[in-house]
Amino acid sequence: MKRALIRLLVLCCCLVALAYGTLFVSASPPPWAPIMLAVGANGVILTLMAIGAMRRDTLPRSLAWTFIGLFVLCAGAFVAALLMPAHEGVGGALLLGLPLRTAILLYGVGVVPIAVLPFAYAWTFDSSTLNDEDLARVRAEQARLRAGNEG
Amino acid sequence: MTGNWLLQRAIPGLTSPGVVAIAVGYFVVVAAIATWATRRTQSANDFFVAGAGVGLWTLAIAKMAATLSGFAFIGGPGLVYTIGMGAVFIILPGALTNALGAWVLAKRMRLLGEARGLFTVPDAIGARYRSRLAQGLAAVAVLIAVVGYVGTNLLALGFVIDAIFGTGLSMGIWIGTAVILAYSVGGGIMAGIYTDVFQGSVMALASAVVFVFALKSGGGMVHISRTIMAADAQFLGPWGRIGPMAAISFFFVFSVGSLGQPHVIHKFYMLRDPRQLKWYPLLLTVALAVTQLLYVSVGIAMKALVVSDTIAPLARADQATPQFLLHYTPTLVAGLVFSGVAAAIMATVNSFMSVGAAALTHDLPIAFGRKAKDELRMGRLSTIALALLAAVVAQSSGTLVAFLGIFGWGLFGSTIVPSLAIGLNWEGATRAGAIASISAGLCITLVGETLAYFKVYGLPSGVSVSAIALVASLLVFFVVSWFTRRSAPGSIDPDIRLVMDA
Repeated sequence: MKRALIRLLVLCCCLVALAYGTLFVSASPPPWAPIMLAVGANGVILTLMAIGAMRRDTLPRSLAWTFIGLFVLCAGAFVAALLMPAHEGVGGALLLGLPLRTAILLYGVGVVPIAVLPFAYAWTFDSSTLNDEDLARVRAEQARLRAGNEG
Repeated sequence: MTGNWLLQRAIPGLTSPGVVAIAVGYFVVVAAIATWATRRTQSANDFFVAGAGVGLWTLAIAKMAATLSGFAFIGGPGLVYTIGMGAVFIILPGALTNALGAWVLAKRMRLLGEARGLFTVPDAIGARYRSRLAQGLAAVAVLIAVVGYVGTNLLALGFVIDAIFGTGLSMGIWIGTAVILAYSVGGGIMAGIYTDVFQGSVMALASAVVFVFALKSGGGMVHISRTIMAADAQFLGPWGRIGPMAAISFFFVFSVGSLGQPHVIHKFYMLRDPRQLKWYPLLLTVALAVTQLLYVSVGIAMKALVVSDTIAPLARADQATPQFLLHYTPTLVAGLVFSGVAAAIMATVNSFMSVGAAALTHDLPIAFGRKAKDELRMGRLSTIALALLAAVVAQSSGTLVAFLGIFGWGLFGSTIVPSLAIGLNWEGATRAGAIASISAGLCITLVGETLAYFKVYGLPSGVSVSAIALVASLLVFFVVSWFTRRSAPGSIDPDIRLVMDA
């Protein structure tokens, strides 16, 4: 599974590089370039998270869905802001005090993840990151390796 | 990357008994904490990683204080005032980066430090790839960026001290340098991390209080938005005045690049109990979010006040925070915020000096096959040398410091993210891949920023050298690792593999 995620990470990096590449070809980038950059950038971030959260080549189902959901939310917020018509002038709609597109982006990318990610990390910490048994096992193995090296 | 924005050209004088009293009180508390910490510093381990005995709250607040420099209080609000919501993409990644750092680096860095007794980020790279060259190259990148970063921060501190005490800029820089040196040389990161807790608390309190005053000054967020939208629709649009490519570039560089900031990530070594990491992302994310409220609110509030002709347009964007404080907050709050600015700068400088001194006394000698006999003493001497060099750079107050200041974030990100953040999580990464990606990050950043600074070549609008360097070093890392993949399996020591699999 990690191999697949590494491939996904490379793909996302390529999307970012391609998006930047369009700027060198033409002074005004095509409309899909910022979409590609947004999808690529969010893909890099959430794929890295998934790779970091993996243990023994597996990713807990709850975390997998969390990362997929947040990718859809964050990349979707960027794409929505890019595709929606601009109405930031007089009389434009406000959402929680901000113009609609700005609010979707700011609350979608800047607020919702705060309410999700730290708790997802804490809730899966004992089962999927590090519990007392894991720590004891790692320390025992380290001690065994050190003893082997000294011997 | 934020270096050139950190250059405050001028801060209006704030010399008043109330502000001075708060600032003096702040410096007295810092001195007391530093004295206490200096007495506890007995070894190089204490000096560089606080004896690996730091608790969770201390770690989280110290990391927050080290992450945010004076830019969050002065340059950032000025940038929001100038380019609108586009500037928010610099801090927006904060919602994701703390969990990202926790999953990708925290546990592995902490266990690596324990297994090998490591205390620098280049140390970890050297251990992962069994490569002195990779460690040395990473140390060179750290040193170059540190001198520029510390120089720009000392210059900013000089402006703040001058504004509060009326010392003049040059004397302000030297006073600031002397204060930071006083506790950094004696207590190293031990003094730094405990003063960071106090400084971080001052920063968070200052930011939260000013946020309330900012909303109040414009009659609430809805009224502020309506006022700005009537005069300047683009300002509050999702990308502000910089367009979507530049805004999303900020987001990419400041999110992924966060995994390569050595003054922040080396603090994972310091945590006493790795099991405490469970609540680390929550604490750090909340602390950062509160402390960044000022960044957004003051820039937007000042824009609303200017477009509604309540106050005159600012002569310079950097004056957004000082002018707001002078006109819309009580003296005590202004004093608190300026102590907060000094706190932010000093916390960042201390952390940078610590990683810089460690690169000089520990990583570079190892790269050349040597080890300093007395790392504690050498660490103290290196701290003095680095601070004096940076202070001299800061005294040039313009070309040199601006030039060096631009290297920071991008150089760290492009040289450290692939080799460390991905390398610690992927067994397929190879020594050649790491060396190639660090070299690519160094070359692209140094050459690209130099050409851009001297206007020999400019990148197209919407892309920065930092972004190009970061994505290029990532791709170089993958490509070279793929071509040298046969060397991957045998290149990881068993204890390092154990940490990677933990």
